[in-house]
Amino acid sequence: MGVILDPLYNIVSGVIVGIHKIFSPIFGADSGVTWTISIMGLVVLIRIILIPLFVKQIKSQRALTVLQPHMKEIQKKYKDDRQKQSEEMMKLYKEHKTNPLASCFPIIAQAPIFFALFTVLNGIAAKTPEGVSAPIARGFLKGEYLDSAAQATFFGAKISQSFLGTTDTTVRIVTVLLIIFMSATTFTTQRQLMVKGMPKIDASNNMMLQQQKIMLYLFPVIFAISGVNFPVGVLIYWSTTNLWTWGQQFYVIKRNPTPGSPAYEELERKRAAKKKQDGKDVNPTDTDSDQDQTPEAPGQRQQPKKKKKKK
Amino acid sequence: MKIVVTPFIKIYQFFSSSSSPRCKYYPSCSNYALTAIKRHGGKGVLMATWRILRCNPWSLGGVDYVDEEIDCADAVQTRKNQLIGVK
Repeated sequence: MGVILDPLYNIVSGVIVGIHKIFSPIFGADSGVTWTISIMGLVVLIRIILIPLFVKQIKSQRALTVLQPHMKEIQKKYKDDRQKQSEEMMKLYKEHKTNPLASCFPIIAQAPIFFALFTVLNGIAAKTPEGVSAPIARGFLKGEYLDSAAQATFFGAKISQSFLGTTDTTVRIVTVLLIIFMSATTFTTQRQLMVKGMPKIDASNNMMLQQQKIMLYLFPVIFAISGVNFPVGVLIYWSTTNLWTWGQQFYVIKRNPTPGSPAYEELERKRAAKKKQDGKDVNPTDTDSDQDQTPEAPGQRQQPKKKKKKK
Repeated sequence: MKIVVTPFIKIYQFFSSSSSPRCKYYPSCSNYALTAIKRHGGKGVLMATWRILRCNPWSLGGVDYVDEEIDCADAVQTRKNQLIGVK
């Protein structure tokens, strides 16, 4: 097991200690701010690494616009046979060498990191059976770093402490606040997608929608149950991830919505209105080039900007 | 094997149903796993693992049944028709 886990601990602790080194001169080596930034930096790093995959997926989603007539045809032709419908849809994607679905890889890829972080942070908080603090060093988080991290606080709560593992009221309050924050971000992300981001729901999707609604209210409960077992540091990681997911989705829904979704129609309307204002003909094939346009003075020709690949 | 793994997959399916579908394949990896484990036991677990590994950002996905000739829509439809025919 150590063969698999040790490199993971090394990566996670290495990144955290590395970021800690960068920010120590600014906020101080033992400052909770530095340690919080280190954990958040880990999230940011992972999510930045995953961005190319995300962009790839968005691109293939956009390619679907071309396939829409075919998709409608399939839906109509096999409206009584969901299975056949799905089969034909998949065949269509494959034929056109595109697939709008993300696969669960981005999630699976993050799971080991999350687990490793959990273990590393738990190591900081480890105690002997008699209750004496005895931090366990994992990866690069050892020596002075381990001592420093063990004392680091986030709004007064030690990042290594968990709700159930402490009697400290501050830790409990901070944990609860973080759990509320996590629930709120998940809730808004989900709602945003349901209300704006998805193609209009047809009758066959109704059951899915129902289930989604249940989940919407069930997630806070799950966070509450699991969150009380996690050290504050892990909750910081989790909250940052959620916030990032929300931001990413917000950006996509605003700038690059799924064809057929309410957000897409809204964007189309806005574009049409803007073109009218500019006194130009509406050219539907031109929608791609003005993705990144910022409002400019009317009357001036708007230069189509190159879409940024890197981000 | 079936008794141990199946409930976990079912729980996963319940929770994952809240997000939009993401599997590149049809049937989804979890459904594939359910069928594979039901039919092949331990070997099914390996089949499912292999399927999840294949379902990644670099694959094109597509239709992929445990047993194409038993599970595909046409076969299911034929069986249904036969059932009605017997009645």
